[in-house]
Amino acid sequence: MIIDKSTGIIIQQQQQLTITGIVVDEKSQPIPGAGVKSMKTGKSAVTDASGRFTIEVDNATEQLTFTYIGYTTLTRAAGSGNAPLTIRLALASGVDLDDVVVIGYGTRRKSDLTGSVGSVKQEQLQERPAASLNQALSGRIAGVQVNTNSGRPGGQTNIRIRGFSSINSSNNPLYVVDGVILPVGSQVQNSNPIDYLNPGDIASVEVLKDASSIAIYGARGANGVILITTKKGTSQGGRITYDADFSVPTIGPNRVKMLNAQEYINTENLAYANAQTYDPAGWAEGKYVDPRIKRLTLPNLFDSSGNPLYDTDWFKESTQNKLSQNHQLGLTGGNSESTYGIFLNYRDDNGLLKNSYLKRYSGRFVMDTQIKKWIKVGGSLSYTNQEENLVDIGTGGLNAVRMITESFPFLPVKYADGTWADNQNYPGAEGGSNPVHILTDRKYILQTQNVLGNVYSNIKLAPGLDMRSVLGANIVTRGRNEYNGRSLYGIAFDQKGTATIDNNRETYWLFENYFTYDKKVAEDHTINAVLGLSWQKTNIFGFTASGENFSTDYFQNANLGAAGKPLPGTSRGSDFSLNSYFGRINYTFKEKYLFTATARADGSSKFGDNHKFSLFPSGAVAWKASEEDFLKESKTVSNLKVRASYGVTGVSEIDPYKSLPLVGTQFGTTPYNAIIGDVRYIGVGINRLGNPNLKWERTAQSDIGVELGLFQNRINIEADLYYRKTTDLLLDAAVPRSSGYEVITKNIGSLENKGLEFAITTNNFAGKDFSWTTTFNISMNKNKILSLNEGNADIFGVGNPGFTNETGIIRVGEPVGSFWGLTRLGTWSESERAEAAKYTYRGGKPLLPGDIKYLDANGDYQINDADRSIIGNGSPKGWGAFTNNFKYKNFELLLELQYSYGNDVLDMSTHSGEDRQGIANSYATVLNAWTPQNQNTDIAAIRDTRAGYVTNVDTRWIQDGSFIRGKNLLLGYTFPTAVAEKMKLSRLRIYTSVQNFFLATKYRGNDPEVSTYSNAFAQGQTFFDYPKPTTYMLGLNISL
Amino acid sequence: MFAALIILAGGCKKFLDEQDPSNLTPDTYYTLPEHAEAAIAAAYSDTRFIGGGAGIFAINYSMLEMVTGTAKTETGQNSDLNNLLGLSYNGDNLLVRNWWNGLYKEIANTNLALEKVPGINPMDETRKKQILGEAKFLRAWAYFYLVRLFGDVPLITKPQSATSEDFRPKRSSTEEVYNLIVADLTAAEEAGLPWSDASGRASKGAAKALLAKVYLTMAGQPLNKGAAYYKLASDKALEVIRDGGFSLFQTYGELHSPGSENKGEHIFQIQYLATIAGNPMQQILLPNFKDVSAYSDEIGSTVPTNQFYQSYEPGDLRAKDREGFFYTSYYTGGNGALKQLNAPYIFKFFDVAANGTLGVKGNTQPDINYPQIRYADVLLTYAEAQNRADGTANTQAYDALNAIRRRAQIAPLAGLSQTAFEEAVWRERWHELCYEGITWFDMVRLRKAYNETTNTFENFTGHKFPDNPSIVLADKNLLFPLPTAEMRNNPNLTPQNPGY
Repeated sequence: MIIDKSTGIIIQQQQQLTITGIVVDEKSQPIPGAGVKSMKTGKSAVTDASGRFTIEVDNATEQLTFTYIGYTTLTRAAGSGNAPLTIRLALASGVDLDDVVVIGYGTRRKSDLTGSVGSVKQEQLQERPAASLNQALSGRIAGVQVNTNSGRPGGQTNIRIRGFSSINSSNNPLYVVDGVILPVGSQVQNSNPIDYLNPGDIASVEVLKDASSIAIYGARGANGVILITTKKGTSQGGRITYDADFSVPTIGPNRVKMLNAQEYINTENLAYANAQTYDPAGWAEGKYVDPRIKRLTLPNLFDSSGNPLYDTDWFKESTQNKLSQNHQLGLTGGNSESTYGIFLNYRDDNGLLKNSYLKRYSGRFVMDTQIKKWIKVGGSLSYTNQEENLVDIGTGGLNAVRMITESFPFLPVKYADGTWADNQNYPGAEGGSNPVHILTDRKYILQTQNVLGNVYSNIKLAPGLDMRSVLGANIVTRGRNEYNGRSLYGIAFDQKGTATIDNNRETYWLFENYFTYDKKVAEDHTINAVLGLSWQKTNIFGFTASGENFSTDYFQNANLGAAGKPLPGTSRGSDFSLNSYFGRINYTFKEKYLFTATARADGSSKFGDNHKFSLFPSGAVAWKASEEDFLKESKTVSNLKVRASYGVTGVSEIDPYKSLPLVGTQFGTTPYNAIIGDVRYIGVGINRLGNPNLKWERTAQSDIGVELGLFQNRINIEADLYYRKTTDLLLDAAVPRSSGYEVITKNIGSLENKGLEFAITTNNFAGKDFSWTTTFNISMNKNKILSLNEGNADIFGVGNPGFTNETGIIRVGEPVGSFWGLTRLGTWSESERAEAAKYTYRGGKPLLPGDIKYLDANGDYQINDADRSIIGNGSPKGWGAFTNNFKYKNFELLLELQYSYGNDVLDMSTHSGEDRQGIANSYATVLNAWTPQNQNTDIAAIRDTRAGYVTNVDTRWIQDGSFIRGKNLLLGYTFPTAVAEKMKLSRLRIYTSVQNFFLATKYRGNDPEVSTYSNAFAQGQTFFDYPKPTTYMLGLNISL
Repeated sequence: MFAALIILAGGCKKFLDEQDPSNLTPDTYYTLPEHAEAAIAAAYSDTRFIGGGAGIFAINYSMLEMVTGTAKTETGQNSDLNNLLGLSYNGDNLLVRNWWNGLYKEIANTNLALEKVPGINPMDETRKKQILGEAKFLRAWAYFYLVRLFGDVPLITKPQSATSEDFRPKRSSTEEVYNLIVADLTAAEEAGLPWSDASGRASKGAAKALLAKVYLTMAGQPLNKGAAYYKLASDKALEVIRDGGFSLFQTYGELHSPGSENKGEHIFQIQYLATIAGNPMQQILLPNFKDVSAYSDEIGSTVPTNQFYQSYEPGDLRAKDREGFFYTSYYTGGNGALKQLNAPYIFKFFDVAANGTLGVKGNTQPDINYPQIRYADVLLTYAEAQNRADGTANTQAYDALNAIRRRAQIAPLAGLSQTAFEEAVWRERWHELCYEGITWFDMVRLRKAYNETTNTFENFTGHKFPDNPSIVLADKNLLFPLPTAEMRNNPNLTPQNPGY
């Protein structure tokens, strides 16, 4: 149709033109899978196996764009269609500015963005196949910090965009999949619905970082927004893709050393001898047993001279090198009106530790169809079934990972009679079972089923004016099945087996309607506007049942009725809802000056009656300087854009009902269970101090960014400076305990983040056969708490776990994630005997030479909380990635390095691994313990723990966690088209890679990128983490 | 579709309303007699905070033993425990905080019951009065701990909200706090409660026994109300003795046997039952990893000092291995060959069924209660108070004291001077009531400490701990510090106790 722009009258009906052609590369090889799109109608097509395409256009002047990843996008007029077109795409030299990126409620060309948006395409995700999206994003985008905190399958990731904005609320970004906002997850193990999305289904990921791009999700965008676009069907005939990878985990770099059997025996002998010094009274009473005599009573472990019969490497015994595999099948098809796709995935990950696994089955169907000229409808439906066994569960207790370190090396895995050999069998030991025993008899199975679906309609109301409606739903059903075997000492032995079943169902729906309006007014003015409204509701229901005392391990979780001691079941329910109104206007003047204004009004059920709604506005400007006359002809500067934005976004991720005063059958997690006449009486008592004035947490963010392209964009630089200030922090503020209550949820306090993001991509060499590109990114973030509860009192016990003491502090003027402890000066020397004796911090016994010496900050001869201070911080000063990509003919080589500096690790494993001896195995570092001949050491003289020793969170436990990691080394080979075609394939690529292949760090533990706690600021805090493997992988990609 | 939008937009107010399906609203809940029972049940449930965890390898119970010098620890892992033992604690100490917090939570729930139960109608008036009596007993029980631990403390008698006038309260005087305690216990006496209650509820006898202890304490430090209050204490204790219903157990084993709970000698106890909430003291009090029980964890968090153990008279049954209050040997694995431990451990709260005994494997299901008021305490309260009130000990006072001694199979005493009799009672209190959270409060109200070596009493201030003479009690130790966090969160809570 051709419409008279001034009258709107249709002046001419015109037949559509059919354009055909072929897309080839520089060597005239056809490119299958290249995209063809009409700039005017939005119609698109994809080239077939021989690079050919067909697309319909309205007229010959219509502009078509041709895109293929790694190649420069080409735009040209369609032409008359009389002869097939030959489109020759050139290898891309750096960043492609014509790439279309997804933004909230729409898309933009990257060059037209006014905000800070990072983008990752599926080809990049394929370079490093991963079990979860978060793992795949690691190192890809400046400003996005992804910590893979565990070696377990799935990685237990923690993601932060531009630092922390919250103390009690969530710091997790908002995930939006194909326009459906996912609920911010707070399920078991802090998992998030995004963990159950198959990364192989993803076509592109966009990370919105600044206020201007986030503001359209204003209410819940303060932690950044991650937009995920899943793969769609193809409009150009059928295609089949098959991707598979096979991998094996092996023991990773930097493994920690423990004492071997002989070293342990020597240490224990010394521990016994030194008890005479450190507990003379107990020694005199005969409290200590000579271990040399004890060993002679254990002929199954020691020979008649007391020498050990075994020397077990528990790490080796606890690991497996089991094949993992991942298969992804894509079936797509369609025509210019309708496209569809079917995507199937099977993943079977076997972790490094025995019996740890993650299995996932997923299927997805997607369809889009232009049913009438004025209406397009479509949708997708996916189902994921994931099952994991988390073998590292039970931090703090005698779990499998801890027992790898603490199991005695003189024990075998099993005795000759087939029974397990456990620390518990050795008199005087702290006990516990050996790690292989635990890995075998303990199950912590998470079974998660996720249904994610959406349907949409897009109606053309008038030229340039569309209305889109989206109905989406996400249902996560999660079963947690835990069973701890009857023979597991310190875990379930006393209870004779414990079983727990927990089921949780989180049902979420979203309904959104919005109008989009695109209009070019005269030559110089382009307007693009969005106006819409949204409803969302989440319903959570869960129940738990558990029992103890089983006569057999056979039933596991399958027969709770067999529990000799059934425990009372519990159930829980909650609802919350959101209602929002949003709008955005983009205005472009002369293609050079860009303006964006956005606002969203959000209402949440979680807040007090007078504060349910809040308005979140933002604005941004950008100037494409390189479009100005004085730069347009520049040979050096090919692109220069300066942009600035400011806006306010919010966070509401607190538990519902915090505004209501409540009484209940429990306080916190402690039930009011009275025992009267040996019968349970359910009490109802104080539960929550309500706050009817509760309202939104708000983050104001300013951002200034520069995008610079040099030498035809062979060098591309993007840099951003930002400042974020969060006010009205949703804080569980401590109240006087004389009220009976602990906290009230209040809007109080503020904190700031300021930072710098810098990314550079250079095309170092682009020849006929050989090319080399480099990308480097660095992010720096500084966080500071500006104000807190009334009186700015320090906050303890929030964000960090308690250990032997508080481990973290939230203090005004300091960053969150600050570690709290004593300063270890070393050990008391012989010459300080008299001074040491003035202290009593060794269990009431006088301090002696060889005991740990702390800084007595206030000089009162007491070592207590008054001597504690901030001793470290888990957040890095800077982090990023350095990637080099080499291509030679059909070979490619990728080297990806990840780095982080300035982050501390609080290795609490030091407590039991180094501070105490004689009741479990220790780190080999105790060989450097204090002796009269070795007085200049941090490690206390070895003694039986019962003789009195000292252990505190202190500076010895803090280590510099800076590191450089060999994240991924990949070698790939793409078969020449001719060879592939002989096999009836359009594309065949094979690759091999090794991940986590080296680690350069001063850290003494396994891996400084670690956390064994889910608390908000516990990054870097570890107590025996699942060791990270080095993974060898072989993969292939097939298209036909 | 537009019509649908408008309808939805119109309904948005209701869309954002919220109601918690798992909890209740205080304004609408309390309507039925069952709700009164639920309110008092919450208050009973809260008494268990004493056995609650206090960081690694410790429970709150240990606080009152660590500071007496009669106990020590075999685990060096908990620095809060270590600092109590070394008398180097401050207001950050976790156990100190837990006692404050636990007691005020108990008070909050009793206040809630006292506020809400009267409004429940219709309800049997007898039962209503009883429930209010139980709530007052528990409130007094909590304030009695608070005032002895911290001195002047905020006096909260109404349920709190963020807008309550006393949400950030000042300290009330010790005298005012005792006035409330006496008033509450007097009300509890008159609340129509049964004389004793084998189900573990507060009883009339318990109210009188606690009141006797309160009067005895008021007579001594810091209020020093003297003879008149010794008289009140002896009269109140005598009511408990005369009205019968309570008696000393024949054997010490009955003190920690599930069959003798809430009766005989046990006037009021904190209730435990493994299937609901097991007794938390078993693993905590077992010798550190000596394998003498069915438990896989044996902590040794609180163990007797050898000096205190040695201070019993020769032949005292209470010091006899596995018969009295101590054991120095036990069965390997709880049920195997007898193993010498070469050190004393607390047998008073030892759950034989849970730990095991010769030939019988332990079931690790600790059911036994933890005592709060024992008849032995009432007898000794009477003996001490009567002697001070009347100037000399009468026959009943000697009977009371000698009942304790006779059970211990040591010689009865006679013909002592007032002072000698008093010291004899104190000595008996130390040896009879050890490790029950009582000794510390005796030290504070008497300002005396027991010297195990000389078998005499010396001034509290300057008393050296037998296990480490460099640990010396000072004036400041008479009160615990106010929790630092509480002072931070309540600027009106000043000043800190002296010396901290």
